[in-house]
Amino acid sequence: MYARLACLALLLAPGLSLAESPWRLGAALGYGERSNPLVLSDDVPLVLDLDIAYFGERFFFDNGDLGFTFVDNADVTISFMGRFRSDRIFFGRTDTEFVLFDAAGAPLAEAVEIVVPDRDYAVESGFELLSDGRWGFLQMSAFHDVSGTHEGFEIDANYGIGFRSGNWYIEPAIGVSYKSEDLNNYYWGVRPEESSAVLPPYEADDGINVRARLRAAYYFSRNWSFAVSAEYERLNDSAADSPIVDNQGVLGWFAGVAWRF
Amino acid sequence: MKRILALLFLLPLAALADDADNESATLSVRPMLCIVDQRTPVCDMQFVIAWESGESGYYCVFSELESDAVRCWSEARSGETTDERNVAESFSYWLNQGEDEPVLAKATVDVLQKSSSDRRRNRRTRHVWDIL
Repeated sequence: MYARLACLALLLAPGLSLAESPWRLGAALGYGERSNPLVLSDDVPLVLDLDIAYFGERFFFDNGDLGFTFVDNADVTISFMGRFRSDRIFFGRTDTEFVLFDAAGAPLAEAVEIVVPDRDYAVESGFELLSDGRWGFLQMSAFHDVSGTHEGFEIDANYGIGFRSGNWYIEPAIGVSYKSEDLNNYYWGVRPEESSAVLPPYEADDGINVRARLRAAYYFSRNWSFAVSAEYERLNDSAADSPIVDNQGVLGWFAGVAWRF
Repeated sequence: MKRILALLFLLPLAALADDADNESATLSVRPMLCIVDQRTPVCDMQFVIAWESGESGYYCVFSELESDAVRCWSEARSGETTDERNVAESFSYWLNQGEDEPVLAKATVDVLQKSSSDRRRNRRTRHVWDIL
């Protein structure tokens, strides 16, 4: 037992082993929020951000994403992936409200409760391609639902580039994501059985989300840094037109002190 | 709340403390950290090295990067010098009283590699905040 713990400590200890440890562990303590685009919803707060990842020769685990790498050369790395879809997180932070007017603004005979419909997590599998160079970093992926939840798919591309200035490291990135009609409609549509006088039925089409992110970190040492991150994502028009969506933009940010093992 | 915030900011500074203090001799190097990535794989830096000792004598500063001393001083209690280097990996400076003498103080310059040879480590996760 102690021998195993000692081996683990050696693997994780910075600077002790010549080879890079397969583990990547870190934690950040601070404060951040992600705005919730749903009506009658609360933003999603964050105080502690954990980073838990393992990168083996083929297999890897990266904060909930599982991967098996089958191409890795000087130009690209391609992996078969499995993951949970995170859009469900918005639906866990909704409230209910009674209103006296319908969706068109006409008065109702009695108060009607607005309930944002619930949605499930989806398990998805797909492929991911990574490439990098002096020009920056590119990540492309295609995922399909394998859990029978939304039965749709998503194609995503993300590009970023890092800049250093003294102890600062700044990394802007942009991304674009195509959401299929099934995926979009599952999360942002309103089924007839979920509709009411104040929440009309709605069918979402496919659409494209775009996003921009800026990460900046000031490194006190190899392990300690002060880091800030902000990301703005613009939901596709079809999602934004849904009666359960209040804001087309989703803003996430976090600032805190980070420790990397 | 203020105490917690103060602690948060003091902890990293504590981590910077020299780990090789020896008796009364001290050695400090600025900067102690340099960041490299694929676009800038080498740090071209001028290090400012300062030392102090409780006793006057003959002292030299060495580095892991070459066998010759960076600089030596005679009948001195303190000294400061600069050293220009192109570095891609962490290395140490140390103070002693001549080649093969015991190390009196040591300071390490850390090189932080932002781009791993395993590009999966640089992938964007769907972790919203993803600052680590």
